[in-house]
Amino acid sequence: MNAATPTEELVITRTFDAPRELVYQAFVDPDQISQWFGPVGWSVPRDTVDIDPRPGGKYNFTMVNDEDPEQASPSKATFKELVPNELIVGSEKWDMPGYEDLEMFMRLEFEDVDGKTKITLRQGPYTAEMVEMAREGWESSFTKLDKVLVG
Amino acid sequence: MANDRLSVIFSALADPTRRAILARLAEGDATVTELAEPFDISLPAISRHLKVLHNAGLISRSRSAQWRTSSLEVAPLKEATDWMERYRQFWDVNFDRLDAHLKRIQQQTSDDNKKSDKTDKTDKQERTDR
Repeated sequence: MNAATPTEELVITRTFDAPRELVYQAFVDPDQISQWFGPVGWSVPRDTVDIDPRPGGKYNFTMVNDEDPEQASPSKATFKELVPNELIVGSEKWDMPGYEDLEMFMRLEFEDVDGKTKITLRQGPYTAEMVEMAREGWESSFTKLDKVLVG
Repeated sequence: MANDRLSVIFSALADPTRRAILARLAEGDATVTELAEPFDISLPAISRHLKVLHNAGLISRSRSAQWRTSSLEVAPLKEATDWMERYRQFWDVNFDRLDAHLKRIQQQTSDDNKKSDKTDKTDKQERTDR
């Protein structure tokens, strides 16, 4: 750990050898979520997946331990923002007395890199800074849209 | 509860001024005046930030009233980074599975395409990809 650079969010990038539409779909298509999500030894049963991909919509599913199905880890999140093939922002309330205002966010950005898709995942407590970043995200999407429309 | 402590730590870390203060303290103990120097904010504002950091256990403060210094406490920071590390490991493994999944469905799509190229064209309408 580097004490000089404390941070409150996790940032992970990863490049997948697949087109952006396909990678994006893997996160919002309930069938696909149940096919890949979860660490090794855990599965997401299809009937636990409830995804409504629009702002304010549900992003719910449960990871179940393969060896001991009693062990289950439900994830109940809400979509905050969605830009198809570009951005997914979800948040999950912390179910803790006294910290009802604190939310976990997950932000996924999808970028084309030489025919592959780079994902940037950010995760951490939902803070005022994140709201600001989400706003900037929208602005940059709109800028891109402007360019497309102006041609 | 450990999780409650974590959320207090994360709330304290969720401010750029407070993170800058911690970064400065990582270089050595400092007084309020020294900590305020790089910022365009008042001493009372710095004191408020220090109070938040202190409540989260991220710093300790010396007793000497005149030259009261603050020092970084590493243990809670480690707790926060350990927590993040667990998520990092979770996503590393998860992304391995996503990688395998994407390979599989692309393989299927290309197999389907080959098949339909060879056989009749009627199943074309059923293919909704692309």
